[in-house]
Amino acid sequence: MVPHSFPAPSEAPGSGLANAKVRQMANISISSGARAARPVRTVTRKRSSVAHDRWAVLVFFLPPALLLFTLFVIMPMGEAAWYSLYKWNGYGTPTEFIGIRNFQVLFRNAAFTQALINNGLIILISIAIQVPLAIWLSTMLAHRIAGVVSFRLIFFLPYVLADVAAGLIWRFIYDGDYGLFAAISNFFGFATPYVLADKDVAIYAVLGVIVWKYFGFHMMLFIAGLQSLDKSVLEAAEIDGATGWQKFRYVTLPLLGSTLRLSIFFAVIGSLQLFDMIMPLTGGGPSNSTQTMVTFLYTYGVMRMQVGLGSAVGVVLFIICVTLAFGYKRIFMRND
Amino acid sequence: MTDMTSTLRMPLQTRVYLYVSLTLIAALVLIPLLTTALGGFKSLGDLRTNPFGLPAEWQWSNYTDILFGERYWLQIFNSLVIAALTVSLTLVVSSMAAFAFAHVRFFGSSFLLNYFLLGLMFPAATAILPLFIRIRDLGLLDTYWGVVLPQVAFGLGMSILLFRNYFRNLPEELFQAAFVDGCGYLRFFWYISLPLSRPIVATVSIISFVGSWNSYILPLIMLNSEAKYPWPLGIMVYRGEYGTEWQLVLAFITLTILPTVIVFFLAQKHIIAGLTAGAVKS
Amino acid sequence: MASVELRHLRKAYGSLEVIHDISLAVEDGQFIALVGPSGCGKSTLLRMIAGLEEISSGDIAIGGAVVNNLTPRERNIAMVFQSYALYPHMTVAQNMGFNLKLSGFPKADMESRVNEAARMLDLTALLDRKPAQLSGGQRQRVAMGRAIVRNPAIFLFDEPLSNLDAKLRVQMRSEIKTLHQKVKTTSIYVTHDQIEAMTLADKIVVLNHGRVEQVGTPLELYKKPANLFVAAFIGSPAMNMLDCTVEGDGAQPAARLGDGSKIAIAPDRKVKVGQAVTIGLRPEHLNPGAGETTLAGKTLLVEPTGAQTHVVFDLAGQSVVAIVDGEHPARYGARFETKVSADHVHVFDRASGLAL
Repeated sequence: MVPHSFPAPSEAPGSGLANAKVRQMANISISSGARAARPVRTVTRKRSSVAHDRWAVLVFFLPPALLLFTLFVIMPMGEAAWYSLYKWNGYGTPTEFIGIRNFQVLFRNAAFTQALINNGLIILISIAIQVPLAIWLSTMLAHRIAGVVSFRLIFFLPYVLADVAAGLIWRFIYDGDYGLFAAISNFFGFATPYVLADKDVAIYAVLGVIVWKYFGFHMMLFIAGLQSLDKSVLEAAEIDGATGWQKFRYVTLPLLGSTLRLSIFFAVIGSLQLFDMIMPLTGGGPSNSTQTMVTFLYTYGVMRMQVGLGSAVGVVLFIICVTLAFGYKRIFMRND
Repeated sequence: MTDMTSTLRMPLQTRVYLYVSLTLIAALVLIPLLTTALGGFKSLGDLRTNPFGLPAEWQWSNYTDILFGERYWLQIFNSLVIAALTVSLTLVVSSMAAFAFAHVRFFGSSFLLNYFLLGLMFPAATAILPLFIRIRDLGLLDTYWGVVLPQVAFGLGMSILLFRNYFRNLPEELFQAAFVDGCGYLRFFWYISLPLSRPIVATVSIISFVGSWNSYILPLIMLNSEAKYPWPLGIMVYRGEYGTEWQLVLAFITLTILPTVIVFFLAQKHIIAGLTAGAVKS
Repeated sequence: MASVELRHLRKAYGSLEVIHDISLAVEDGQFIALVGPSGCGKSTLLRMIAGLEEISSGDIAIGGAVVNNLTPRERNIAMVFQSYALYPHMTVAQNMGFNLKLSGFPKADMESRVNEAARMLDLTALLDRKPAQLSGGQRQRVAMGRAIVRNPAIFLFDEPLSNLDAKLRVQMRSEIKTLHQKVKTTSIYVTHDQIEAMTLADKIVVLNHGRVEQVGTPLELYKKPANLFVAAFIGSPAMNMLDCTVEGDGAQPAARLGDGSKIAIAPDRKVKVGQAVTIGLRPEHLNPGAGETTLAGKTLLVEPTGAQTHVVFDLAGQSVVAIVDGEHPARYGARFETKVSADHVHVFDRASGLAL
């Protein structure tokens, strides 16, 4: 997630290996002591490449990563684009070409549009609730008060737990018969809400769990951001007469800009791939009210082995991810 | 630190406000976890009337039955094997590739790096069906490798980036000194880069271990036989079997997240640093 | 030990040429300094000799053999870096022995050579420490130890003292000189500090914009700078430069300043009447005691340094520095008078900058 600005390689295609070979041959003639080598005019390169094993690095170090990545990341993605144009059950080769029908089906499907809306909602909540909460907590925990470390630990703990475990735990908490919600409503004497079974409420219950699970991570990002701030700037603000809030509003917050953008970036990318937590909580139900794109893909694509349709979901998700990532980076993160 | 106000200088009001807010949030985090752990000690009836408090009667058998059974240990073992394979393969493959990117200038290097960084943009879920078909065609379905290889592949973007940035920040003159001392690239990698990379090796290991340990969707799709299930799959199956016998499910959840919690508290500094540094540095 | 020869060496990054046709011969056992302002190409040149930088054209010969295509190790050179570039994860002994280890030296041999170098550099007590536990001067010595352990054909130094504080720099300077007198290995030393170059080197090469301005012994450069650049670069405080016009006949030439006053020039300078010249006066040669020409002006600044005092005074509208005895009663605003002998007046053609 870094803008990649490299010095443009000034060499011609393939010249690297060729040079290495020329050099090696030249060396043999020198070490055999027959005659001094003629000056070799070579393409200039910033870093010296006089080491003879340069090619060995390229030949042995890159291919494993390249092979794995191409085989299991890039090719599947390309295949998803291909399969999405077919109706296919995954056996044999896809033959039944149906054009963009899968995509048409997808966007007419109420469950899928609900999934899109839910993903949007998750992003919204992440930005509107989770990030401010994280900033608030991080400024409190930047104080040097007793117990800071323990609080940080506690807040970060949900983040290291598996989504599946968190989902199951909250499934219990929300349970109308056994859980905490049951106990609380019993205590106050009103009817137990079955939050996860109510299609109007379930998604908000899910959102609550998402905030519970992830705010600690964002808080740590902000704590790291705060710790990297130049303290003298804040001292200068204090000398200029800024109150606590003014210091935060006019100095700290603007200086946290890059952390803020990073945090939102992670919230967005994270919410788009939400799956593990939904499955134990609701499995996408009731009546598809808590589907996300990935749970939809799983339920309709994988479970029913509709490779074409599932791949179409993958393509939509891919396009959204890449567009958001590139767009976001271009607009907000170009200076970071 | 935004505010270097020490506890001494802080007015009482502020202190009360701070501690009350922090305690409240901490309670919101901890109560579900404690309820889960305690719930595992209760009987179903007890759970129903009193999900909050201490058990009326401590049902140790809920836990001991799981601990003395084979299932729990098998799942933990599976998770460990998958995570260990993922971490070691990630370390080897990504450190080598990153070294080539950091130190060898070759045609297309920046293009190739960007190619790998594409992996940061989308989750494994987007390509899950073709991935399934690929693993099936390779005959790796229902094997550890069927989970490990895609996990490593999808983690490559991040780990190559972390390693490369770290290698690049090693002083340039170190490279030249080693060169003058007679190192080629291979020896430089082995004698200088790797020994100096312990912090980044730790970071990458933590990120890929935690990712693999908690991973759910890939094993869900690639593994069929319960004997190979890692624990996240296992608890879902367990929950499916025991349905509403929440006290057993809660005990099982508690036991499965226990290793995570213990390791987290033991190595909290490294884990927090690793997981956030991964985010910040890339 | 070996001689080094550079023949028509060039280095270009794309179309940007940073080393223009440099030829140079370094004799066996000589200590040579490459000196010049930052960006003059001295480090690039050194790194080309080391084999860390490719050469665009020309030849480098070490011990008579062309080494253009050899790796640094095959050239059998050792280098001391500005930042020392010690391996942070190795002890002092491991740092010093790393090269020998890579060459497959027997362990006992390696140890004896490391110990010998450590003894020579007074590092014996520090052999088991890591670089982070050493002071700046100690690290510097380890870097040198690493270089001498391998008994190279040549030593290359890339501004090795610039990371040290002033006092340590003087001390290490003399240590380097002592070391060279002991081992007598051919050394090439890059620095931007002309005093370092003067004190250390047998021969100095002054570089500017990738070209050699002058090559010579320290005293040659000081006494007979070939051009304005060398004249201004060598000597501290720097030479005073005054724009003048040549007057008078061949036997008694003189330089006329802006206000009409004249400064006598030695008759052997090849000047023509009416020629626009720049004359150079070294501050230490402006001496109230002796000389043909008297220079006088208002005192602008007095800087006592103890034994000597630097006086800045106004001469025909230009500021001129003179070094006088510490007891001299110069004071701000008063008239200051000094003399210069014609032999000490350097004359340069203003257009070409060359010494006349």
